[in-house]
Amino acid sequence: MSTAKTQPAPGATAPSATAPAAVGLGLVGSGGDGIVLVGNLLLDMAARQGLYGVLVLSYGPQIRGGESAAVIRIASHPVQYEGDEVDLLLCFRASDVRRFEGHIRLHHDSRLILEASDTGALPEWLGDREQATYRYPFAKIENGIEVPGEPRNMLGLGLLCRALGWSDTLAHDSLRARFGHRPEALARNLAAFDRAYAATPGPPMLPKLPVVHGEAPPRVVETGNEAVARGAIASGLRFFAGYPITPSSEIMETLLEEMPPEQGPVVQAEDEIAALGMVLGASFGGCTAMTATSGPGLSLMTEMMGLSSMAEIPAVIVDCQRVGPATGMPSRTEQSDLWHAVFAGHGDFPRVVLGVFDVVHAHEVTNKAFRIAEAYQMPVLVLSDAYIAQRTEVHDPVPPVGLVPPRRTWHAGDSPKRFEIVDVEHGVGAFRVPGTTDGQYLAAGIEHTLEGNPTADGATHHRMNTKRFAKLDAIAEETRDWVRLLGETGAKRGIVAWGSQYGMLREWLPRHPAYRAFLPEILDPFPLAAFEQWSRGLEYLAIVELSFQGQLHRYLAGLTDLRGAHRIARSGGMPLTWADLSRLLGEERP
Amino acid sequence: MKPKDYRSDLDPVWCSGCGDFGVLKGLTQALADLEIAPEKLAIVSGIGCSSRLPGYTKSYSFNTLHGRALPIASGLKLARPDMTTVVVGGDGDGFSIGLGHVPHAIRRNVNLTYAVLDNGLYGLTKGQASPTTPKDVKERQHLAGATDEPLNPLMIVLSAGCGFVARSHAGNLPHVRQMLREAIQYPGFAFVQILAACVTFQAPGYAQQLFDKTAMLPEDHDASDFLRAVEMARSDKFMLGVLYHREAAATTA
Repeated sequence: MSTAKTQPAPGATAPSATAPAAVGLGLVGSGGDGIVLVGNLLLDMAARQGLYGVLVLSYGPQIRGGESAAVIRIASHPVQYEGDEVDLLLCFRASDVRRFEGHIRLHHDSRLILEASDTGALPEWLGDREQATYRYPFAKIENGIEVPGEPRNMLGLGLLCRALGWSDTLAHDSLRARFGHRPEALARNLAAFDRAYAATPGPPMLPKLPVVHGEAPPRVVETGNEAVARGAIASGLRFFAGYPITPSSEIMETLLEEMPPEQGPVVQAEDEIAALGMVLGASFGGCTAMTATSGPGLSLMTEMMGLSSMAEIPAVIVDCQRVGPATGMPSRTEQSDLWHAVFAGHGDFPRVVLGVFDVVHAHEVTNKAFRIAEAYQMPVLVLSDAYIAQRTEVHDPVPPVGLVPPRRTWHAGDSPKRFEIVDVEHGVGAFRVPGTTDGQYLAAGIEHTLEGNPTADGATHHRMNTKRFAKLDAIAEETRDWVRLLGETGAKRGIVAWGSQYGMLREWLPRHPAYRAFLPEILDPFPLAAFEQWSRGLEYLAIVELSFQGQLHRYLAGLTDLRGAHRIARSGGMPLTWADLSRLLGEERP
Repeated sequence: MKPKDYRSDLDPVWCSGCGDFGVLKGLTQALADLEIAPEKLAIVSGIGCSSRLPGYTKSYSFNTLHGRALPIASGLKLARPDMTTVVVGGDGDGFSIGLGHVPHAIRRNVNLTYAVLDNGLYGLTKGQASPTTPKDVKERQHLAGATDEPLNPLMIVLSAGCGFVARSHAGNLPHVRQMLREAIQYPGFAFVQILAACVTFQAPGYAQQLFDKTAMLPEDHDASDFLRAVEMARSDKFMLGVLYHREAAATTA
C-alpha cells in the first residue's frame, strides 16, 4: 500500500492538542452518482494516513437507480461502528435525503453540503440548518436543464478532503491507485477533484484527526464478505458453490477473483439447494468445501444440512442474515436466522453455529468453522449479517489464520466400519476419501449402521443418534471459552448480545461502567458454563438483539434460568445505535 | 475386473423381475468392459427404487436426497475429476422433484453419466403417477387415469444441449450394457433413459405393451444430426440406441 506525506490543505487549521477521536460523514446520492466510490476512496486515504474507519451502506433493493447512502466514520483507533451521528452530510439532491431518516442522524452542530441550484425545502428531520449549509454547483445547468457535467462524486470528494484538511496529493495517490489503468477516467476525475478542492470559499472545516505523517503503518481496507472469502482461502478451501443473493453475493465474487485456480473451483449453482449439494459432493470427495447465502437460501438448504449431518460430511455454510421472513428487506440487517440455524430441519441432527463479530473476526471465525467441520465431520453454520457483510472496515493486517488440519482419513488396516469411532477425541470414524484402495462404502441420508448399510431398525437409529450427538459434547468442551467479554468484571448490570452488536457495544460500555457484556462466539453448542460463571453477581441482565421474537433470549431461556432477565429485542432494518441501547435500557445518557 | 467385482454384499430389495436388476447388471458389465478401478468409481443417486442401486455396488457411492443426485455428483466430479462418476435414479427423482437441476447439469457439461430408470411411476411410495406416466394409464393412486400430459425426457435433455443422448430397455441387457459403456466413455454429460415396467404397480400386460412400443433406431441413423435425433425422440415408438452424439464436447471436469 503506498503512502503519502500529508500537507496542509488550503485554509486548514493546525490540529489542536485535543484532536477528536473520530469524524463522521454522511453521503447521499442516487444510482450512478458513485457515492460508494467516494466512501471507498476516503477509507483508502484514511488507511494511507494510519487512520482507521468504517463505511456502512444504506440502500433499497440492490439495483442501480434509487437513492443510496453511505455513512463513514474515520477514527484514530479501530472502529466497528459508524457512530450515532455524522458531523457532515453531503447530498447532491435534497429530495434524495428524505428516505434516510433514522439511517443518517445529525447532531446539533452537523454541517451540510448541498447542491447550489437545489433550493427546495429540506426534509424536516434535518432541522433548520441554513446557517450550517454550504452550497456548491455540482450540477451543470444550461437553460434551466441539467446537462452532463463533471463527475459530481469527484467534486464531492474534493470538498470532503478539503473539509477534512487532507492534502490533495493524498487524494491524487488514491485516485491513481484506483484509476491508473484507465487514463481517461483518471484525468477526468482528477480535474473534477482539483476544481472542487480549490473552491473559494471552501466548505466548513471539520475537526482535524491526528493523522500519521510520513510512512503510515500498513492497513487493510475490506468488507465482511471479502474477509469471509479470504479467511476461507487461507484455511485451505478447495471448493465453493453459491447462488447470488443479497447481502452475501460478494463472498462468491471475491472467491471468483481471488481463489487460486489450482486450489479448487468456484461454481455458481442453479439454486441454493444445488449449491449446498455441490458442496456436499465435493466434501464427500475429500475436499474442504463451503457455500454462502442469506436467509431465503438457508431455508432452501435446510434438507441438505440434515444430509451433511446424517452422512457425516463436513460443510461450512455462511449465512449473511437479512430482514426476513420470505423476501423481507434484502439489504437490511437482522439477527433473526438464529433459530433457523440452531433448530431448522426435520429430524434430530447435530450442527454447530458460530457468530461473526466484525470484519477482522470474519477471518478467524471462518477458519474456526472449517476446523470444527473437518474435525467433527458435520455442518457448521457461520452467521454473519448484512451489517457486517457489506460494511467496509479499515483495520490492521490480520495474522494468518493457518491451514485447517486435514480430516482424519481412512487407510488400509483402519476399522472396516466407516462410522465406527476411531478418532475418540472428535467422536468420528475415519473419513474415506474416494480413490483410496479398498475404502469403498455407501454414504447415505438414509439411516445406516456403523458399516454404512441402510437400516430401518429403531434401536440402531437411537445408537447412531447417540453417536452423532456425542460430537457436540466434545465440541462444547473444545469451545467453552469461545466468548468475548466487555466491560469491568465487577459491573452489576449485564448485557448478553451476539454477532454484529459487538462493534456498537465495544464503544458504548466504557461510557457506561455499570455494565458488562457477554457475547458468545459459538451459539450452538452454547458456552453455558462460561455464561453462568460470567453472570454471577449480576443485579440486572438484559438480552439485546435485533429480532422481534427475541430469538437469542428465548433460545437461552431453554438452556439456563433466565428468570428476571430483560428482553431488549427489536426488529432489524436499522442497526442498534448507542442512543437506542441507552433508551431501551432506561439509561438517560447515550 | 469381472462384473461381480463391482457388486457389494447387500441383496437388492427390489421386487423379483424388476428392471432395476437389468440396470445393475448392465452397469457392472459396462464397468468391467471399461476396466474402471472400483476405488476410482463413484455412483450417486437420489431417492427411489432405482436410487437404491449404489448400495449394491462396491464403489464410493452416495445415496443422497430425493431429486438432488445431480448437484451432488457435479460437486464431486468438479472437485475430483479423477473419479468416474455415474448418477442413477428414477423418472420421479430426475424429472419431477429434480428436474430443475437437469438442464443446468447439462449446461455445465460436467463429465457425468446420468442413467434414469424410467418405469413411469413412483414405486417406492406404491404406485403414484410420475411425470412420464402415459396419460390415461390407470395407476394405483390414479384410478381415473393420470390426468397430465407426460414429459418427454429425451426432448428435455436434447433442448438443454446434452451432447450424448441414448435410450435403452431394461429387458435388453446387452443393449443396456452397450449404452452405458458408451455413455461412460463419452467425455461430457451423457444421458441414458432406460425403460422398464414396474412389475408390482402396473397392470399385467403393461410390460408387453411397453416392449411392443420400442424399436431400434434405423441402421442408417446419423447420431451427429441433431434434428434427426429430435425426430427420433418424438417418434410414436420408443426408439432405442444412441439418438444423439456430439463430438468434441468441451467438459468442465
